[in-house]
Amino acid sequence: MKKYLLLIIMSVVLLSACGGFQIGGGSEDSGSTESDSASDDTADSGSESSGNGEKITLDFWTFWGSEQRRPIVDQIIEDFNNSQDEIEVQHTYVPWGDIWTKNLAAIAAGDPPDVIINDINTVKLRAQEGQMEPLTEFVDEEVQGRFYDQMAEATMVDDEMYALPFNTDTQILFYNKDLFEEAGLDPEDPPSTWAEMEEYADALDVQEGDSYETIGFYPLIGPGSDLWMLNALGENFIDEEGNVSIDTEPVHDTFNWILEQKNKYGGNTITSINSQFENAQQDPFMAGNIGMMVQNANYYVQLRDFGQDLNFGVAPMPEKEEGNGHTSWGGGFVAEVPKGAKDPEASYQFIEFLTNHDTQLYWAENNFDLVANQEAAMAAAESEEFSAAGQEVYSLMVENMDDTLLTPQPVIAPDYSSTITPTFESIVSENTSVEAGLEKAQSDLERIVENNR
Amino acid sequence: MYKKKETLYGYLFILPWIIGFLGLTLGPLLFSLFGSFTNYNVTSQMDFIGLQNYKELFMYDDLFWTSLYNTMYFVIFSVPLTTIMAILISTLMNQNIRGMRVFRTIYYLPAILSGVGVYLLWMQLLDPSTGLINQFLGLFGIDGPNWLFDPEWSKPSLIIMKLWSAGGSMLLYLAAMQGVSKALYEAAIMDGASRAQMFFRITLPMVSPIIFFDIVTSTIGSFQIFQEAYVMSSNNAGAPENSLLFYNLYMWINAFNLFDMGYAMAMSWILFVIVLILTVINFKFARRWVHYEGE
Repeated sequence: MKKYLLLIIMSVVLLSACGGFQIGGGSEDSGSTESDSASDDTADSGSESSGNGEKITLDFWTFWGSEQRRPIVDQIIEDFNNSQDEIEVQHTYVPWGDIWTKNLAAIAAGDPPDVIINDINTVKLRAQEGQMEPLTEFVDEEVQGRFYDQMAEATMVDDEMYALPFNTDTQILFYNKDLFEEAGLDPEDPPSTWAEMEEYADALDVQEGDSYETIGFYPLIGPGSDLWMLNALGENFIDEEGNVSIDTEPVHDTFNWILEQKNKYGGNTITSINSQFENAQQDPFMAGNIGMMVQNANYYVQLRDFGQDLNFGVAPMPEKEEGNGHTSWGGGFVAEVPKGAKDPEASYQFIEFLTNHDTQLYWAENNFDLVANQEAAMAAAESEEFSAAGQEVYSLMVENMDDTLLTPQPVIAPDYSSTITPTFESIVSENTSVEAGLEKAQSDLERIVENNR
Repeated sequence: MYKKKETLYGYLFILPWIIGFLGLTLGPLLFSLFGSFTNYNVTSQMDFIGLQNYKELFMYDDLFWTSLYNTMYFVIFSVPLTTIMAILISTLMNQNIRGMRVFRTIYYLPAILSGVGVYLLWMQLLDPSTGLINQFLGLFGIDGPNWLFDPEWSKPSLIIMKLWSAGGSMLLYLAAMQGVSKALYEAAIMDGASRAQMFFRITLPMVSPIIFFDIVTSTIGSFQIFQEAYVMSSNNAGAPENSLLFYNLYMWINAFNLFDMGYAMAMSWILFVIVLILTVINFKFARRWVHYEGE
């Protein structure tokens, strides 16, 4: 008798222990466990015999769980589910910090989500590592032509398209019109070259004793030095083949220019301003302590919601010299199908829906977010949903895409930033000279490329 | 017969733990040891590459040395300082004064706060211009450093923050100090010993097992510093100038940003060996200064 008892207990313990190894088991969101298990059944039978009226259920992972974004995602999903009767999409919110890791674990375990929103700059890496299903066979010309070229390009590896771009962003110049007027500058005529930026900044500066009450313009309030390098070079400092152009004249000029501005204001002024942004205590631009700064265009939403009617203007990024180009930088996200998803074709149908004109316009209008579908973006620029200021900013975002580069992580040196960013920081903090620093960054990066070859 | 059965039941009752240990601790441990000799990237590859990862770490990876240096710096300053601080506080807290319970509570409070909340609090305190610490220094005409934004000061900032939560080990010392026999002190007073002599000749030796325990555990803990740097460096990756790039942070970046899992596994085994060696050294030296009652 006792022997049997022992056996039973052992097997129960073993079984429960095994249960713990299931990846993606219901423990993360117990709320949807029931629907998940139900959906798995229908999904399996559905994909095998889609003729008998059973629906295919797709699991769609996003990191859009905020009060503001979640209803919009859910609305889009509902629209899709109502638009046809073969596929049923379910939304799983996975927090930003976990989503990529969980996705990888799920791919490794053979039970990935069917569609996931992922970073556009690392698509090529994931494709290379075999973590995504190629979509080329489903993509027709209309779909391929929907997107901004640089975005579509970022999803291609060897003529295979691995994802459809969803949204993007771009860096533009924000300036305070009231401060312009106080300084005797024309608020409708923002500066357009680096030299003009300096000139305007001098006019905008308000000095009080040793410190500054108003900082006209400092390049590194907001962006990092890499944005200005990109702006000066007109391309990223490392290309896809692994050619490095850091120790070059435009980059030398960039750092000398940054240091010149820094020494005008003094390092402490700059640190204190940057730490105010960092600690989110107060926004010095909204407080009227900064005349001009380059920021992600989405910063408009913060100005709209918290700016207390700040009288601001927007303009493209300045160019190094006239004719050099107003090159700006953008990122963004794609919708993709992880490797091993049960029905890539069904997943694609949903992805296609996510990037079509109406969905993208809906997303753009409700989030004030620059979408990847060009026509939808252009339509959004004239949307009645936005105020006049909103339309102005959105139009500029759309125009700015002509000068906006994406910087996909080069497969040849995926981890370059932790090696060379500190060198750039050290140049800016003047612990290293421009010459020595750039020479070091150039050779460090070349060595990484060499090692990875 | 009966004895055998009892043994069996004994094993049965610890079975859940054994399964947990084999499946969730020893299994992954061995897997990571094996993984450290591969180019494992979670999804598509796991080829045996021998000592390649280790070779790359030691011979080519500057960041590996940077992170090791940062971690050593932190351990070397943080462990002795927090230990001394905890002993000092607990000596103070061991006095017989009215309202001592209130003071004990106050000093212990930081230890029950933990994690990100504390780090955010300290980021505000350490703010170069508006932070309380620099404003306080300003009262004395001292132009405070840029703390977390200055590569020279970022590690000291974290060490100072750690000192603040010395209350946790204070409790251990306090308990040990209260356990020291009054008879020893009485005898010392009869012999005319000064307070300092009593502290160094009686109190310290009597609590030395706790000091030893504290040093060993906090050395291991300090080598594993991660959260602080992850939260408090402005790019979550060791800024400024990689001064907060601690060993575990760099390992984490390799594992979960670059998914270079094999490389990260190799790093974790190197750390294991380093900590193991230090702990063994600690134990060897312990014989010279740790005093166990009854020996």
